[in-house]
Amino acid sequence: MKKIWQWLTIMLATILFISSTGSALVQAADNAPAPASDQYLQKVKDKGTLVMGTSPDFPPYEFMAHGKSKIVGMDVAIAQKIAQNMGVKLVIKSMDFDSLLVALQTGKVDMVMAGMSKTAKRAQSVDFSDVYFHGGMYMVIHEADKNKYKTYKDLAGQAVGAQTGSIQYNLVKDQAKKSTLKGMDKITDLILALQTHKVAAVVLDQASAEAYANNTNGLIAVDAKFKIKVPGTAIAFPKGSQSLVNAANQSISEIKAKNLISKKYLPEAGKYMTTGSFKGSKNKKAKSNKSSNSMWAYKDFFVAGLGYTLLISAISVFFGFLLGIIFALMRLSHNKIAHAIGTAYIEFVRGTPLMVQLLFVYFGLGLVVNIPALLSGIIAVSLNSAAYVAEVIRSGINSIPIGQTEASRSLGMSRSTTMKYVILPQAMKNIWPALGNEFISLIKESSIVSVIGVKDLIYQSKIVQADTYRGVMPLVITMILYFIITFGISRLMKHFEGDMSHE
Amino acid sequence: MNKNTQENKPVIAVKHLKKAFGKNEVLKDITENVYDGQVICLIGPSGAGKSTFLRCLNLLDKPTDGQVFFDGDELTALDDQHLDQLRQQMGMVFQSFNLFPHKNVLENLKMAPMKVKGLSDQEATQLAEKLLAQVGLADKAEAFPDNLSGGQQQRVAIARALAMNPKVMLFDEPTSALDPEMVGEVLKVMQDLATEGMTMVVVTHEMGFAKNVANQVWFMADGYIQETNKPQEFFAHPQTARAKDFLAKILEA
Repeated sequence: MKKIWQWLTIMLATILFISSTGSALVQAADNAPAPASDQYLQKVKDKGTLVMGTSPDFPPYEFMAHGKSKIVGMDVAIAQKIAQNMGVKLVIKSMDFDSLLVALQTGKVDMVMAGMSKTAKRAQSVDFSDVYFHGGMYMVIHEADKNKYKTYKDLAGQAVGAQTGSIQYNLVKDQAKKSTLKGMDKITDLILALQTHKVAAVVLDQASAEAYANNTNGLIAVDAKFKIKVPGTAIAFPKGSQSLVNAANQSISEIKAKNLISKKYLPEAGKYMTTGSFKGSKNKKAKSNKSSNSMWAYKDFFVAGLGYTLLISAISVFFGFLLGIIFALMRLSHNKIAHAIGTAYIEFVRGTPLMVQLLFVYFGLGLVVNIPALLSGIIAVSLNSAAYVAEVIRSGINSIPIGQTEASRSLGMSRSTTMKYVILPQAMKNIWPALGNEFISLIKESSIVSVIGVKDLIYQSKIVQADTYRGVMPLVITMILYFIITFGISRLMKHFEGDMSHE
Repeated sequence: MNKNTQENKPVIAVKHLKKAFGKNEVLKDITENVYDGQVICLIGPSGAGKSTFLRCLNLLDKPTDGQVFFDGDELTALDDQHLDQLRQQMGMVFQSFNLFPHKNVLENLKMAPMKVKGLSDQEATQLAEKLLAQVGLADKAEAFPDNLSGGQQQRVAIARALAMNPKVMLFDEPTSALDPEMVGEVLKVMQDLATEGMTMVVVTHEMGFAKNVANQVWFMADGYIQETNKPQEFFAHPQTARAKDFLAKILEA
């Protein structure tokens, strides 16, 4: 009982320590220099790049150009213009919409452009530029429902989809109270849900709604007639970066004066949207004929995703295994400090979600050192796996009879020689199947890295979904690819298992 | 041989050895010496602390109190590294053999000489083959422990301990886990060792072996060594009531 109290006290102290230093860091980030005299613009000019954070699944604002791994769209064109006026190069970082503002606050990106509405709530944590685009709130519905659903009020009792964390999401929540709200991260998933009648309507901003409706058979976009003064779309900058805001506003007024958005940027974005799969989806016959071909056209995406997934998995398996042995030995150690560290690490990591650990490594540690997304992913997955591997190895070591250690030590072999030549080889053989399971689940769980924009299989499949407006096929291919990897690994483990057992 | 050993320095000296597991005092106060060339059989009722005493001699169990000397060095005062060096010189054979199941017989013998003494693969192989011949198992070099009988496994275990060229051999009930028909082959190997002059401390229930091979019998009960004597004397005229009682029970069976 005493021991438990000691543990709780230590843990509480640790948490308090971490949170106090953490909030100090956040405060430091908040207490940025006063407007106009800030260094943000100078910093951008010094490094020669303007980093834009976006979530490229939002045509015509930003999306992946068909068949190319290039992000295009109206927002990108505007950002190019701003960067050009500043005399720097534009760099685009893509990630989930929900992660964008965190990335901005932690300095991962200089600005966020993602068709983001300018709201008072968001303005509390970021500085907005002037509004560069105004669009109403629309809903995408089946053409057959045209006379049934004329405003959002007609959707009472129905399921309605909206992008999680978006303004439309809150709008539906607050005003369409009689409807069941279904939130999803990706608009492509929402459209898929609509097509498969999981939801009766998807609420989007006007531009997106029309882009999707116009390019998908049987869907139309209508004004949802929400009671709302539609907020305009603006660029988000870190709090206190008046110099950047001023520079952006200059460019925006130039763009407005020349009417570049409707004259140049939107038509250009439309061109990307009307090539390839869009044409195909307009014509059902052509689409079904081409269905295998059209996925084949995206093979480069899947290959690239496969590469990242394999890279992350291979490195994480290696370090997870290595660290796993170390943590297992620490936990089994007679040294009290090593034992405490090993135990605390294993219990903590196993007791918290990988998703949170990943976000902590990327954003949390990002306040201190800037770790790129891929490396963050590898670190988080390795550290997470290490805890599980450690427990597997510990159970393996404990499964070896004490007599083996005694026989070895009585021959004069040291503790470490005994571990290396007598205990671990036998333990490995016993835990090999469990270790194989752990590796397989590591490969599958590595998919979480797509959240911070690592271009792994899941990430690529979402891009292909967004680009082709086909929800299921990319998922099927992704599933098959994952299965090939994991099945291959399990065969490989079996092979070595055979090698290890004598005769 | 027995006459002059008493004047030599003891190989193993035990002074006021005490061992407790928690509140359970297993060894209460033991002071004894083992001299070069002696074969000592440790007998007594189960639970007397015989095995624990043996395991305290090479510090597999750490004594709670008291001292153990080996060749003049105080084991109980050594750090791990030096302890490992002295343990090489005290071979130990266990009731349950404890061969390394992931290695074949030859590798079982070669491991410690190579990893600890740094023998080359060739030297270790030569040594191992010689010892396997000595215990009558030259043809089992490539076999794995699982495929050997209990008696064969125990003979391999003895050869494995001998591979470190120890000064003393400790046997912890080496025949207790064997089928009756295999006891003889193991005792034979032990008897040969004794004849060659190996110093041995044997915890055993084999009274015949104690009578014929040992040159001293230590009778242990209740955490003390109650009586030490030559085997003939001990079995003919036990001095203590505990010993008389013990021998009477054995004869009944």
